[in-house]
Amino acid sequence: MSLKSLDPRVTRLNLPEGEVPAMEPKPELDQFETYEAFHQKKEGTAHTYVGPVHAPNEDVAFLFAKEQYSRRFPCVGLWIVRTENIQVTPYVGDQENVYDIITIEAPTERSEQAEPYEIFHLKKRGKAHAHAGRVMATSYPEALAEAKNAFGEKGPIVNVWVVKSKDILQSAEEDKDMWTTIPEKKYREAIAYKVMDKITKYKEENKPTTAQ
Amino acid sequence: MYGGGNVFEATKFDDVQVEDPVKLAEFEARIARGEKIEPTDWMPELYRKQLIRMIEQHAHSEIIGALPEGTWITRAPGFRRKMAQMAKVQDEVGHAQLLYSAAETLGKSREQMLTDLINGKSKYSNVFNYPAFTWADSNIISWLIDAGAIVNQMANAKGSYGPYSRALERICAEEAFHLKYGHDAVVHMATGTPKQREMIQAALNRWWPPIMTFFGPSDKMSTHTETLMRWKVKMASNDECRQQFLDMYVPKIWELGLTVPDPKLKKNMETGQWEYTEPDWDEFKRVINGDGPCNAERLAVRRTAEERGAWVRRALLNPKAKYVKPLA
Amino acid sequence: MNEQAIKDLLYKLADDQLILGHRNSEWTGFGPILEEDIAFSSMAQDKIGHSLAFYTLLQELGEADPDTVAFTRNANQFHNSQLVELPNGEYDFSLIRHFLYDNAEIIRFEMLAQSSYEPITKVATKLKGEVKYHVLHANTWIKNLGTSTEEAILRLQSSLNEALPYALGMFEKSKYEQELIDAGVYAGEEAVKVEWLNRITAVIEKTDLKLPDLATIEPKFGGRYGEHTEHLQPLLDEMAEVFKIDPTAEW
Repeated sequence: MSLKSLDPRVTRLNLPEGEVPAMEPKPELDQFETYEAFHQKKEGTAHTYVGPVHAPNEDVAFLFAKEQYSRRFPCVGLWIVRTENIQVTPYVGDQENVYDIITIEAPTERSEQAEPYEIFHLKKRGKAHAHAGRVMATSYPEALAEAKNAFGEKGPIVNVWVVKSKDILQSAEEDKDMWTTIPEKKYREAIAYKVMDKITKYKEENKPTTAQ
Repeated sequence: MYGGGNVFEATKFDDVQVEDPVKLAEFEARIARGEKIEPTDWMPELYRKQLIRMIEQHAHSEIIGALPEGTWITRAPGFRRKMAQMAKVQDEVGHAQLLYSAAETLGKSREQMLTDLINGKSKYSNVFNYPAFTWADSNIISWLIDAGAIVNQMANAKGSYGPYSRALERICAEEAFHLKYGHDAVVHMATGTPKQREMIQAALNRWWPPIMTFFGPSDKMSTHTETLMRWKVKMASNDECRQQFLDMYVPKIWELGLTVPDPKLKKNMETGQWEYTEPDWDEFKRVINGDGPCNAERLAVRRTAEERGAWVRRALLNPKAKYVKPLA
Repeated sequence: MNEQAIKDLLYKLADDQLILGHRNSEWTGFGPILEEDIAFSSMAQDKIGHSLAFYTLLQELGEADPDTVAFTRNANQFHNSQLVELPNGEYDFSLIRHFLYDNAEIIRFEMLAQSSYEPITKVATKLKGEVKYHVLHANTWIKNLGTSTEEAILRLQSSLNEALPYALGMFEKSKYEQELIDAGVYAGEEAVKVEWLNRITAVIEKTDLKLPDLATIEPKFGGRYGEHTEHLQPLLDEMAEVFKIDPTAEW
């Protein structure tokens, strides 16, 4: 016998009725590794952290992040980074600047192998990291030192993320049309639901009996 | 969607005294200043455990909460409802994803949380153990259960843990649609044909008792609870949430000429508090502990979904991958 | 322009999208991983939204309103291909169907965005970006799973073999085929099929899957003319269960 549910979809699953033995614990990495997603709300604004997805690789992470983080709000672009590839500074208090405790010196002469790094700042605890800019460096610490020189003075900055540019999967310019209809999907926005007229009409028609 | 139901029952963790007093003082000072705690900050073990438990249960409530309304996903009447019902149930799954991620930053893996859910080791909001008999039940859930969840989540969004607050801010923004959609559907039923009106009243009758238990029994105040309130883990008492919910929504139910099936329900104008028939807390406990109308089905469905998807996950597993906790 | 020909085209587009969107929505809450559950649901919503857009064009041509058209017709009045009405099966079948369907859908949208029939052009141009994501999603999954474990490859291969006759049924010609081509509405089913084959072959070649020789496959035709499998009517009954309690009510 299989379980008959109020949900026809569940009935079609043919679930066994009665007690089932405990499930084996899920193996490690059953849910894959994690990737962090940054979205760009509109042209010209900084890419901002929106959250992680679990995915087997960055292409699938992009597919996932696009729907998890950009289906309900305006978006023109998305960056994906494997969590492991983000270097994180310590966190300081909301009134402080984390660059004050960073004492690494940027090299006076740039080495030839310098490559681009992207720098993300968190301005206040509980808010989201936003892209501050790009620096050229030969290592993460050096990138942080460069970042301190380039954009470290405008405090408070409570935390910094440093990522090699090549480790970021960026949505392509020509893929922007994937987001163009988002603002038109009114059926999933509160503003599409207006019932005051119906309520008012109902109250008008039922005045004598609705008194509580 | 989530209620306060079963979160703050007594925990076995020892008290705070074993923590390093200097670090504890810094931690408490940060919270007192109104700053958020971020994942790599030092935090007391009780804080970490309690938050994992709470966020995890919240996440489970979302993924299980997708099932009662999912019951009607293939039968929503008309395009407007069909698309919105799909989007709403999808959002619940999305919320689960956000919340599991927030809990992961505290050190419990999603694998472990899903295992604990399916094996009944961790709980979810009790209301989802009740069935959605008709389309109208689904409307009542969309409106009033989500309304209750918003009361809770708005309070918790002001809590001290950064990743949880961030997730809740996003969730509350999305839930604004749920609430309006649910209200819209209930209003259409209540002001519609006699048959529709009868359906919505019957659904309200069925759902009112579970709704009244949604926020959980009155809190037993202990030093433990006081500590969690000082640390901004617990943001409002169950009774405060229940009163706020009644204040906001009973008038909206009444204005539709619907009857709330509790003859004692009224607002005491002197105290400003709602009076109501005490919910059946024995039934509440019985259902939480597994003996509800849908407990077995809910977990069986979740388990089957996981098992049917196992080959996909096995196929894409990269053995060289290294799990790193999400950053924030 | 023959209005019947346009209506026929609109019905087959919209019915395909509605039925597939409905089928795919059955996965919501049951997907293989949370993130994929969300992505699949978005695409299901898009499909339903696309069908609504095309039913709205039909309404402008004098047909009944979209709700009536979608929720009150019987199976023999539907013009969808049989591919989209088949039960979801396991995830491999749903993915393969998604892959086969959306690689054809994107070609239709590209053609219709250039159509001589302006109302269709507008809709297709606007919604094309959504289908682009659907195709990216499908192709990424097929490439990933199609090069993974033996288990996954076997599953996909068997679903591919099972789905192909139905997929070929998508290209069943309408009785207005030549008129639509001559009037520049779109290039017709044969042209869609040729391009579709190019595109799916390019993806399949990057995997360990094998595309069977299509010449040996008998396409499952009939859907475009109201002939369906035993699966469509129960789907429609389920979809309209609440609506039919009172079709005149506002839900």
